[in-house]
Formats: sequence, C-alpha cells, structure tokens
Amino acid sequence: MDLNQLRKVAAEVVSRDDVKYLIGWRRGTFGYRVAPYFVEDAAGVDELIFSPLCISNLATYLTLVEKLPVPRGQEPDKRKVALLVKGCDSRAVAQLLVEKGVKREEIVVVGLPCPGMIDRDLLAEKYPETDKAAELRWNGEDFLLVGEGEDIVIPRAEVLAEKCRLCRHPNPVLSDITVGEPVKPWAAADDSGVAEIEAKGAAERWDYWEEQFSKCVRCYSCKSACPLCYCEDCILDRLDPIWVNRAVNFSENTAFHLARAFHLAGRCVECGECERVCPAGIPLGKLNRKLAQTVREEYGFEPGLDPEAEPFQASYKPDDPEEFIL
Amino acid sequence: MSAMLLHKEKWSEFTGKLSGKNLWAPVVQGEMKKFAPVAEGDPVNLEEGNTTVPPKALLFPQTETLYRFSAGGEELELPEADEEIILLGVRPCDARAIALVENLFRWDFDDPYYLKRRELTTLIGLACNEPELNCFCPSVGGSPASTEGLDILLTDLGESYLLETITDKGKALAEECKDLLEEAPAGAVEQKEKLAQDALGKIKWSVDPEGIPEALPQLWEDPLWGRVSAPCLGCGICTYLCPTCYCFDIQDEIEGSAGRRCRMWDSCMFAEYTKHTSGHNPRPTRRERTRNRINHKYSYFVDKFGVIACVGCGRCSTLCPVNIDLIDILRQVKAAQ
Amino acid sequence: MSEQFKPNIVAFLCNWCTYAGADLAGTSRIQYPANVKIIRVMCSGRVNPLYVVNALQQGADGVLISGCHPGDCHYMEGNFYARRRLKLLKELLEFTGVDPRRFNMSWVSASEGHKWKEVVEKAVEDAIAAGPFDQFRRRQIGW
Repeated sequence: MDLNQLRKVAAEVVSRDDVKYLIGWRRGTFGYRVAPYFVEDAAGVDELIFSPLCISNLATYLTLVEKLPVPRGQEPDKRKVALLVKGCDSRAVAQLLVEKGVKREEIVVVGLPCPGMIDRDLLAEKYPETDKAAELRWNGEDFLLVGEGEDIVIPRAEVLAEKCRLCRHPNPVLSDITVGEPVKPWAAADDSGVAEIEAKGAAERWDYWEEQFSKCVRCYSCKSACPLCYCEDCILDRLDPIWVNRAVNFSENTAFHLARAFHLAGRCVECGECERVCPAGIPLGKLNRKLAQTVREEYGFEPGLDPEAEPFQASYKPDDPEEFIL
Repeated sequence: MSAMLLHKEKWSEFTGKLSGKNLWAPVVQGEMKKFAPVAEGDPVNLEEGNTTVPPKALLFPQTETLYRFSAGGEELELPEADEEIILLGVRPCDARAIALVENLFRWDFDDPYYLKRRELTTLIGLACNEPELNCFCPSVGGSPASTEGLDILLTDLGESYLLETITDKGKALAEECKDLLEEAPAGAVEQKEKLAQDALGKIKWSVDPEGIPEALPQLWEDPLWGRVSAPCLGCGICTYLCPTCYCFDIQDEIEGSAGRRCRMWDSCMFAEYTKHTSGHNPRPTRRERTRNRINHKYSYFVDKFGVIACVGCGRCSTLCPVNIDLIDILRQVKAAQ
Repeated sequence: MSEQFKPNIVAFLCNWCTYAGADLAGTSRIQYPANVKIIRVMCSGRVNPLYVVNALQQGADGVLISGCHPGDCHYMEGNFYARRRLKLLKELLEFTGVDPRRFNMSWVSASEGHKWKEVVEKAVEDAIAAGPFDQFRRRQIGW
C-alpha cells in the first residue's frame, strides 16, 4: 500500500467543501494498537495509515455519531462524511444503504483493497507488545514487523485474523474512490468453526455456550462496535417493557446473545468486530457465521453485496424453505 | 507488620487449607482472567497478571439482590447472609482500589451490603515483581508492593513467598496456617524491598497528576474532549472493568406476582446513564461522557475524598478496543493546561 | 422419560386461522392434550423471536407457533415473514444447544380442528421426548 497516494487522496477529499471529515486510522499509543482517526483538514492526513493492524471497521462511526438538535435559526451541517473501507467494511456500508441507515449522498467511500489483517492477540503471543507503537507492513503474502534494527518477517498463516482467513470479498464492493490495485481474492478457509459446533450433540453444544455466555459482563461492546447495531432505541436497552433483564447471569446473558445474533441474521457482513472487541473472548462470530451460512445456503442470499438489495428479514419468497413447518 | 516465609513446597498445602474457607483466586478462561472459587486440590497459579474483571466484582457484585417482595406480602425478604471469603493473589492496585471505593460506600450513608461483605472478605495480595505493559500505579500514589487495602501481602522470592501480615484479620489467618510458615530469615525483607524497587523501575508509563484535578474544571469546553472521545464506541469496557468504578443502577425484576429489587453495575459511558424520562440527556454525546469519566476519577473524587480514583492498573487502556488511552488523555490534559 | 412429566408448551396462535382452528377443535369436542397455553396474537408475523426466548426463560418446555397457510394470511404476507424469521430462530436455538424438538411451527387453518389436534399431539410428544427444560430458566431471581 502506497501511503503517500492514500494521503494525497485523503487530502483532496477533506479539502472538498462538501466533506466534513474523513474517518481513517492512525498509529496507536503503544504496541500493536491502531486508533480510528477523524481527519478534519489536509494537514491532518500525515498521520493517516493503512497497515495490517487496521482491522477495525470504521463504518460503525457512520451511525454512532450523535446528531444533536440544531439550535433555532441554524442550518444543520449537511456535509458528507468520508471514510476508508476495506472489503468487509464496504459490505457494512452497503448493508447500511440497503436499510437506509445512511444515505448514499451523505457519504464518500474511499475503498482500500485489503490483503488481509493481523489478529493482534496472535501477534502479541509471538512478539509481545511494548510501550512503543509498532509498525507493520505487508510483505508479499506475509507481514513485516518493522523493527528498530532488523525487520521481522511474520508468515501470513501464523497471524492472519480469522475473519480474513474466511474472507471472500477482500476488495471493496462499493467505493467512490479506490486507492491501490484490487487484490486477488485468496482461497477462503472453510473452518468457520460452525461445523465443529454442529458436530457436537445438543447437550454438548449447550455446555459449550453456557461456558461462553457465563463469561459475559454485558459491557455491550459487541453491540457498540457492530456497524449494523444502530437502533436508536435498542430493544436490549429498553426498560419498559423489559425484554432482557439487566441482571447478569447465564439465563439473561444467553437471551441477550440470542437476541443480538438474531437481529443480525441476514444482515451481518462478518466483519468480526463483535468478537474482536469482546473483553471476555466469547466467540460471537460463530453465532453470526452460523446464521450467515444458513441464509447463504438455504436462501441464496448474502448481505452487503448489493446496496439495492431487499433487506433479508423484511422480504420473502413464496417458495422459501418450510420443511420444518408441520 | 510481621514477616514470615512460606516455602513453595508448602504452597499446595497452604491453598488446600484455605480452600476449605471459601477461597477465590485468579483463573484463566480462554482470553479472560477472573477470580473463581478454588476447590480443594485445585491448582492455584498466580503467574498471570491482572484479572480482566477486577476483584471488586466480589465485594460489589455486578448484580446484587437487595430484597425480594411479593404482591400482597407484608414482609420484605432480605437476601441470605454472605459467607466469609478469602481472595488470594489480589494485585496491590486492585486492593488499593477496594480501599478507595470504601470511601464512597461509607460516605453519606453506610452501605450495609457492601460493608458487610467487606468485613467478611480477607484479601491476600501478591506484590507485582513483573508489572504489566500499561501499569502506572506509582503515578497515582500506589506501588507494586503497596499494602493498602490488603490483609496479607505475599512477595515471590523465587523459592518461597514472603508473607507479611498487615491487619489483625491477616494475622489471625496467618496464625491458623502457622505450621506451614517459618520465621523469615534475615535479609528476606530486604530482598523484598529490592524486588519492589526493581519492579518500580520496570514500569513504563508515568504521568505526574500534579495540577490535573485543578486543571480539569478549567478545561470543561476544551477541544481535547471532542478529540479524545471521537473514536469512543460507547461500550462499558473501561468502566465495568475498572477497579475503582462503582456506579450502579437499581432495578426491580418482576415475574408474576413476586420480584426482587436489585442493584447492578451501570456505566457513565452508556447514553442511558443520564437520560431523563423526558428524553432529555444532559450528557448527550460521547464527548460529555468521556469528559465525565476523566473528571470523575481525577477531579470530583479528589474534591470529595482527597484522593484520585484511579489506581493505575491500566485496564482501561489495555482493553479499550479503539485505543483510547488514559495516559494519553492525561498528557493532553496537562498540555492543554 | 417418566410418564409423570407434563410439559408446559406455550403456543402463539394467529387470530385468524389457528386460533379459530383451535376454537373449532373445542366446539367439535375434539380431545387433545391440555399442555398448551395459548397466547393469541394477530398474526404469526407478529411473533417476535424474543417471545420464544422469553417463554423458554420463564420455564416453557416447548414453544409452538401456528398461523395461516401460505397465501391465506389475513394480512396477505405476515406468515411469509414469520416463516423466514422463525426458521432462522430455530437454527439459532439448535446451534446453541436447545433441543430442536422444543420448537415447532405449523400452519393450521380455521377449518382444521383435526389438524390442530395432531399438531398439539406432536408438540407434546416432542417436548416429552426432549424432557424438562430447566437449564435456561431465570434462576437467580429465586422466587
């Protein structure tokens, strides 16, 4: 990835009168951290990066930014928001467009073909984080940890994030401007973890998820980080009627996770943010992938590929499967 | 304070003895480290650093029944009394946090639930010989071998643990295990002091909090809050997993004609936290909420209790999914002064 | 499974077809097991999947959802949406280890009193085979 080219494009975009800011990434404050970065003017683009650590999905911020009431006599700021997207992020944007969560004219999408991201935890296991912010680069198929003295080549298979191993759409599905050449999609792994769980008996599956859901502290980071969890009045926060008690115990945690996963059925673009941010390490991606797989295999639908598509759960076909109905 | 020596050969006997007294110690569950009960014969491993969920969760449970009620019933039913509990392997910062939080639960009203549980809890700490990446306890008045809040402090001397009793509760417990302990040889305490000194040298982060409590009210409208809160996702990681965060909400859970009133953790980083019934929210965006989190720890708590409500454990910085780094914020506060 | 176990089954029935079908079964004096607790909803498409989750949390051993046959929906297409949604819910519950026999869905029209009897019999038989479902109950509330 040619950072200079990215920064040049970003500077042009943020200099436009109709663009409020551009959302990108910058180097974090230590270790392998990368922080989302809001660039407001051309001078800010120098900090912009795109590296194998830029795993977070910035599409979340499109719906996260609070819209305060505009004081009387003032016009609302109607400028566009620009953001950098990888393949998976662009699918989230496409799905947001399908649901009319954002309008096409409100955003400028800068697409970045993505050669694959690093799982920070896997990397830190081999090369522990330090108080210095590390730099990583792509190096052909592999990754390169830029050292103070010598650079270290890290084989792709060792640290590639799970969502990237399973990725089928590394190139943005939509963008206004694309920076860099499209990457050649790689053979996606098929060990999504779903079959492994399906192979267990019902009681064993229950035990597995009981252990996982019992760890949950209900910090709601999974739904906060999800680009597609953006209801202003979330059913899981509501107190009247209360759908899922706020109490933290296995029963309520399970209800919470079932509801969260279900609300993403036919919508989840498998960007892996929920699983990445979870401080308890609950494999939430498996729940999402299970439903995504059902939707793909039984209904032939994959969300986030076509911004003009019909929302999956708000549409039907007369011949949808119904073998389970008595 | 008296010092004794616990040989590592006697470690399993020691934990075995304590496990009969409701012992909890850090365990690793996948990515998560937390305190869990130790049954007799379970190995106890103190190698791991700070737990993901701080031990505050045992004194101030995430969900706690205050009382039960039923329609038509005259009496409220109070929850059953807790039993004594021993926490083994508490890091000095987390123990210090427990001491700080007690200020709140003793403030204008003595909270019977918390204080009762505090009384029933014995804290056995473990000095940090190897501080973690984001530790900065010395900056906020702690140290890797701080004894504040602890009843007993253990220090790993290699072949053995130095066991120092700090409170009467700690002394009583050490007395019960005295056949496993021996007199600390000359030099053991000095060795511990040296380890603590070395540990101080291994801490990477620091910020001088001098002036921050006074500066924060002046920086109320400073652009820095917009800047640092922009990436915030509004999740509860930094507060739920903070050892000094104690905000709670009280809710009734009703099923049929009976129910319970319970207290549960809440987080100032959630939009609902300050939302009024009218729909008005005095902290409408993540900017105000982030500002509140820092102000609460570094200014309001200082005004009220004379101490910073942060123990420098670094959890918020380590666990934040979008790299909102407390040290970075504090440095920006100092720079903006 | 012991003969004593009497499962609790919560049934969400659409107002226009299955509820009337169950009514017909009653007026026709068709005998069927008394284990179903019927909750009338306006349409099977109105059944929020969280109803099912909540019923299981509150101690249901099985859940049955029944609506009009495809094409017969009073609201034209409500049952088509229900079919998609509840299929996904069924898959999700199964994936998390809930016995699939605890979840049944059927189409029963207003004239199918006999079919209603068969559906209930099947749901009860399934729930008995799956056994009591205690693991998911709200337990810390303790009343």
